[in-house]
Amino acid sequence: MKIMWTYIVAGLTIFGLMLLVGIGLRASQAGWLPIDPGTFYSLLSLHGVGMITAMAIAGLGLLWYLVDRDIQLDARLAMLAFVFFALGVLAVIVSVIFGHYGALWTMLYPLPFVGTTWPSWATGLWLIGVALVMLGFMLICAQLLGAILRQYGGLGSALGIDYVFHRKRFEAAGKHPPSPQILAATVVSIDGLIGGASGLLVGIAMIAHWLDPHVVIDPLWAKNLTYQFGHTFANLTMYMAVAGIYVALPICTKRAYHSSVPLVVACWGTLVFVIIAYFHHLYMDFVQWPAVQYIGEISSYLAAVPVVVVTVFGGLMLIHRSGMKWTLGSTFFFAGMVGWIVGGSAAILDATIPFNVDLHNTLWVPAHFHTYLLEGVLLFILGWVFVSLEQRADSSSNAFVRWIVGLGIFGGGALFLIPFYIAGAAGVPRRYATEPAPGPFWAGVATLGALLVLVGVLAALVEGIRLARAPAVRAAE
Amino acid sequence: MGEGPLVLKLFLVVAVVAIAAMLLVALYGARAPLPQGVVNDAGYRIRKLWLGLVLVVAAAAFVLTLPFFPYPWAQASPGARHFEVTAAQYAFVMPAVVPANVPIVFDVTSQDVNHGFGIYAPDGRLFAQVQAMPDYVNHLPIEFHKKGHYVVRCLEFCGIGHAYMHGGFDVR
Repeated sequence: MKIMWTYIVAGLTIFGLMLLVGIGLRASQAGWLPIDPGTFYSLLSLHGVGMITAMAIAGLGLLWYLVDRDIQLDARLAMLAFVFFALGVLAVIVSVIFGHYGALWTMLYPLPFVGTTWPSWATGLWLIGVALVMLGFMLICAQLLGAILRQYGGLGSALGIDYVFHRKRFEAAGKHPPSPQILAATVVSIDGLIGGASGLLVGIAMIAHWLDPHVVIDPLWAKNLTYQFGHTFANLTMYMAVAGIYVALPICTKRAYHSSVPLVVACWGTLVFVIIAYFHHLYMDFVQWPAVQYIGEISSYLAAVPVVVVTVFGGLMLIHRSGMKWTLGSTFFFAGMVGWIVGGSAAILDATIPFNVDLHNTLWVPAHFHTYLLEGVLLFILGWVFVSLEQRADSSSNAFVRWIVGLGIFGGGALFLIPFYIAGAAGVPRRYATEPAPGPFWAGVATLGALLVLVGVLAALVEGIRLARAPAVRAAE
Repeated sequence: MGEGPLVLKLFLVVAVVAIAAMLLVALYGARAPLPQGVVNDAGYRIRKLWLGLVLVVAAAAFVLTLPFFPYPWAQASPGARHFEVTAAQYAFVMPAVVPANVPIVFDVTSQDVNHGFGIYAPDGRLFAQVQAMPDYVNHLPIEFHKKGHYVVRCLEFCGIGHAYMHGGFDVR
């Protein structure tokens, strides 16, 4: 429990700080806040890597706790990983604030070394900081996977292969398939180790180039590894948080969510498609081997099937006619599923190659991943926090608070996100400190939306503190 | 090419239908709870149909979009005139004029870091793009049917001057 709250509070704190940075960036693009391009790209670097790290830290805390409920884990390893995260975040902050690093999280080789306006040490510190975050992430993944493999006696059992292919014999032996949250943890840890290895590989190559410029790297190789790591890491934040659905929604609905053959098969699909869908980031690199472009579109489509057919469909089946009370916790979970579907739909359109020609590296890209993270991953984490606090205090928020939080996070969220989509569809490029029309107008609208989100987040924070300080009636989930 | 507004409309339709359907499922009959077994029996039947529908839509989308993939076209453009484009922080070296109504190929590369070669039509729509990479040449086959001035913007973050990296050419 202590590990979970340490991770979640740290993740949400970083999220809050990065939200403020993000509001400043959008206000600058609207022409409301004078930020010079150098500072803009430094802050954009911080915002991008900070937000993903925030969601990953909070999501890992949740996932670690859910696995620890079934299989006892060593808290010291989780704290060691937390030290890696803290040192990595500190290195990134120093690199940006004092070194003015500004090559963004993508740091596509050879950008961090060519035409830079910041000192070389800032690039090195950034690379080391990101590598430390990756090491922390991989340490947790290795711990979870090791514990699951020991508990279930191998990968086949942990992935439910016996259960699916020899079900009668499996059930006759009195065995049970891994729980949904254990399956989610297995997927996250395996894909996390693969994505983390890609990130470390390209990171080490770039650190080698930083130390000795004679070390040259193939730019296409570096781009593939960078996106394999970046896409997988960002995508997995969702699957960490999704584990909360399998445990919290049954509490909210007073129903059960068991592993089933469709759920197990869906996890296999997610395991494969999450790590190969990244090819859609390289559609506009025509020198890339054409077959993987086709795989990019197919795997992006197929990655959505487990979501819409199993996880979200199953979540809706739990809620449907359950008599669920619409507290903040349950509302966050439901809204998170909506955000996941909406953001995912936009991602699928972008992953459709003929449409990607019109959307690649326009504001459509941040449109869909902000939807996915802000109205998906974040809401699942907030949902878990509030279900836990509501259960502990046997109390829920009054209608006024629910409306303020809802209007801020959902209403403000829509006002923040829709301008990204409109401007992206109009071809406004992403990552422009100064955008061409109609970018600045829509950036202004988005800034107002983001301010409303901030109001909603602050209201949720105050309400969360109130619930946390209320006398404990029973143990929190 | 230039289909951004169409994609936006498609997205809005999908998003509105998805939100409405999810709200309907969550709120319909909320005050008259049913046992989970009853909901599951109906839900599992619907899920089989839903799985079939999702797979059919995914397969159809892939098959329908295949003819519009730029890759086979990029490799085979016999007889097309080639124009070199070289990107470098923060400008493009490219022809000032290209011909209308004939197939041409832009041979796009970079002298330093990754850039994006994004072509905007005279009406402001993003018309075509390809990455400009160091050590590689990307071939972008294209045919312009509208004459006028086309703006080129960098569509891959390339450094502090990224937002100001633009140029253009005339199609005559």
